[in-house]
Amino acid sequence: MPLPPTPLAQVEPPTPNLLEPNVGLVFWTAVVFLAVLWILWKYAWGPITDALEEREERIDASMTKAERALEEARQIQAENEKNRREAEQEARQILREAREEAEQLREEEKQKTRKEIQEMQEQARADIEREKENALSELRSEVADLAVQAAGKIIGENLDENRQRRLVDDFIDDLPRN
Amino acid sequence: MAAAVPVLEPAPAVAQETHGSEAQAHGQPDQTHGGQQQGGHGNDGGEGGHSEEENTGNPGAVSHSADGTYLNFEPLGIVELPRLFLTSPEDGGIGFDAFASTKAALKSDAYTLAHPDSAGASLTHAQVQEALADPHHDYLYFTAQKAGAGSILIDFSITRHLVAVFVTALLLIILALGVARKYKRGVGREEAPRGTWQNMVEVMIVFMRDEVAKPGLGRHYKSYLPYILTVFFFILIGNLLGLLPWGITATSNIMVTGTLAFFTFLITQFSGTKEYWQHTLNPPGVPLFVKPFLVPAEIIGLFTKPLALAFRLFGNMLSGHIVLISMLGLIFIFTAQFGTGVGVGSIFVSVPLTIFMYVLKLAVSFIQAYIFAILSALFIGLAIEEHEAEHHEEEATGPQPHDDIDDFMDRSEHFGPKDEPMLGGDGETKPTGQTTLSQTAG
Repeated sequence: MPLPPTPLAQVEPPTPNLLEPNVGLVFWTAVVFLAVLWILWKYAWGPITDALEEREERIDASMTKAERALEEARQIQAENEKNRREAEQEARQILREAREEAEQLREEEKQKTRKEIQEMQEQARADIEREKENALSELRSEVADLAVQAAGKIIGENLDENRQRRLVDDFIDDLPRN
Repeated sequence: MAAAVPVLEPAPAVAQETHGSEAQAHGQPDQTHGGQQQGGHGNDGGEGGHSEEENTGNPGAVSHSADGTYLNFEPLGIVELPRLFLTSPEDGGIGFDAFASTKAALKSDAYTLAHPDSAGASLTHAQVQEALADPHHDYLYFTAQKAGAGSILIDFSITRHLVAVFVTALLLIILALGVARKYKRGVGREEAPRGTWQNMVEVMIVFMRDEVAKPGLGRHYKSYLPYILTVFFFILIGNLLGLLPWGITATSNIMVTGTLAFFTFLITQFSGTKEYWQHTLNPPGVPLFVKPFLVPAEIIGLFTKPLALAFRLFGNMLSGHIVLISMLGLIFIFTAQFGTGVGVGSIFVSVPLTIFMYVLKLAVSFIQAYIFAILSALFIGLAIEEHEAEHHEEEATGPQPHDDIDDFMDRSEHFGPKDEPMLGGDGETKPTGQTTLSQTAG
């Protein structure tokens, strides 16, 4: 059991105290932490978070851009398609119009030719008529003259010129036409 | 690994028959001096029998986790750390003493030792010499004291936990600056991040930013993000350091965790808005007779939040280490109690359990760093976002007491970019908030 304490006895080392206050440690920890905070704030977290943000923005931007480009491409494609269709339609229309025009032109030409032919025919007919008329009247006066001469010769006596002529004319009038 | 040695020692103490065995537990060759210790403790009243009982527990585990002015590389040896003292000499003024080691300080005869329980009564010269001669560096466990007149104002000595803080800081700076250099060079800025290291760090940074800072701090998150990141990585590296062989866990020291929590406290109070102070000191919408009860509670609440931060981290890291060592120590205790056979048999239980605990501690290292960071963010967010949040509340349900943690956990979801709801906030933030809530309450 306990021996009488001796004045020069060795002392039992104390059990460590886990909650021991230590101002020095607090001071050092604070200094170290503040130093780390400052260094990292300035040289690490700042650049890193900036870089991350920049990258995120870039990714975001490029995705938007890609989407926009896709949209644009789609639009352009649609436009091209539309243009092509329009061009085709136009070509078809032009072709049709040309064909119609040609048809019309031909028709007109035909019409004109026909009309000309008709006119020519009519003119010819009129000419013929007129010539015939002329020829007839000439023939008539010739016949009258001949008849008068013949009658004079036959009768031997000069009849009154005018009376004779009227007689002949009446005679000729009595003749069937043509 | 180093723990195995101190753990081995208490085994005889389990028998607890004589004081000699207790002395032996601390490696003291002279058994007759055990009585002196008993007498010395008797002076402290309740402390008397206490130390005996304590030694039946596991002083190895405790001293392994405790701070000290040495680095324990047992069995390779012990490295003493420099002692720096801010003193108040007898002729007044302020003095500063620096020694390469405790031994040097004692040998200079300017300093002596005292038992921390003895209320400043220093050891005799012979006792100090004996402690110096001790092969187990007993003198390292005593409190240093100025010999003769004068006293130590502040002990600025480099302790092992401080060394861990230094190493943590150094590792963090190397890690962060290394990664930052990559970003500056354009990797990760103009192209995809490359390499395990950068990707790992980036994942954590982005997680901290999107899941901790943004939901907790809202629109002003940018000015607080560096602090949140630093505190997270500092604690994380500090926690992980303790898992290495001979590693020291700085975060298992209440002074270190307290300092970190103190910064959160300072930032919270200094960035507090007018509304925050108004709600703390003169809560609106509260009946007048309630105020005398509510306001003191609010003021106490200002301090309990960071205090809880400090103790949570400290307790988690400390308990993990003590459990780890105790589990390994079981092998030696069983050997001493039941013989070698049982001891060897217990290896097959103890070692898998220890490995399991180790993995658990690995997880806890991350979780605790995360919890510290997210709670810091929430506390600061609570102080800076009061105004807006209150308006939302008033529109919805009328004024509510703002110290309700549940309430602000919910509110944290409404933070973030002003008009668009936080992405992932619904899924992620709330469960986390509830976990931390239960921890805060407990």
